[in-house]
Amino acid sequence: MIINYKLLLTGIVYLAILVTACGQNEQATPAVKPPTQQKAGEVIPQMPQLKPIQVTEDTRQTYQWYCSQCHGVKGKGDGINAKFLTVPPRNHTKAEYLETRTDEQLFEAIKFGGLSVGRAPCMPAWGQTLAEDTIHSLVRYIRELCDCEAF
Amino acid sequence: MKTLTTLLLCGLLFSAPANAGVLEDKNCGSCHRLKVEDTETIFTGPDLHYAGNKFQPEWLKQFLINPEVIRPAGFVTDPGFLPKTDLPPHASSSEEDANALAKELMGLKISTSTPVTSEPLTKGLRAKIKYQFERTFGCISCHQSLNLAGKVRGGISGPSLVNAGNRLQADWVSDWLKAPETYTAKRRMPNYKMEPATLDQFTRFLMTLKKENIK
Repeated sequence: MIINYKLLLTGIVYLAILVTACGQNEQATPAVKPPTQQKAGEVIPQMPQLKPIQVTEDTRQTYQWYCSQCHGVKGKGDGINAKFLTVPPRNHTKAEYLETRTDEQLFEAIKFGGLSVGRAPCMPAWGQTLAEDTIHSLVRYIRELCDCEAF
Repeated sequence: MKTLTTLLLCGLLFSAPANAGVLEDKNCGSCHRLKVEDTETIFTGPDLHYAGNKFQPEWLKQFLINPEVIRPAGFVTDPGFLPKTDLPPHASSSEEDANALAKELMGLKISTSTPVTSEPLTKGLRAKIKYQFERTFGCISCHQSLNLAGKVRGGISGPSLVNAGNRLQADWVSDWLKAPETYTAKRRMPNYKMEPATLDQFTRFLMTLKKENIK
């Protein structure tokens, strides 16, 4: 039997799109963990070291410049893109959820994107844009917004 | 003194229009950056000092005659960008002015873009890159685009890509994805380090997005 691999591959890709996507009216939970930006060899080999970094005016400005597009100016998950996404951006003022996510998980979500921690792909990876210290300070800022901690 | 002032004013009146292009005549520089060296001013509209690298001339002309909304939430430096405000529409021009403006804009270039292939993507590859556009890179969170069924979807904080294939030059798209800092010092978009093959396919995918494909 001759297998048309090209057709098979196209079929698989279509199936994957039907099952998972970030746009409107589509399922948000991936059945199979899809690829992220990192190569297999680049997947974080160890947990990043947590540093006692403080929230500064730069942190707040960084949040306003990048994060607020989706998460809103006050972090309530109501940024201008929010209503166009199937998976609503996280409300950073809700302690109920954020106290279930560790600082490491928040750091990884920012650095490697939502998919890297099993969350929505709508959240892109910021690791090529923001320095690690900036990401650490954003984690602290999210903790300030939710008024909660989780280690 | 009075004579001197009159002479100076006359000098200004006669010298300014002689050197001014149509972009200056139409006061485009009050909202758009037109000069590479103008790095200090914060403009409320998109940079145009590399318009000749970025746009397709026919689209530019049509836009100037009949402007379409590309940034539904405003430009990144617009104070009203967050939260969203109602924006005044871009002024429309006569065909004659549009021709002159487009010609002058196409002359504004800052680099020689690396030529890329514009060969259309196969259906399978298009599906693959559309998937990456949404999931791997999360572009759809900020950019409107077309899905495979021809429906508009996506966020609005970034420029709409629904008509990217008519609006942008493929070489510029590739350059922007590879080294956006060449064009704009501070962006709200994440930087991506794409493999050359992905960059090539991504560029070709974006060039398939055209408003005539909306269903």
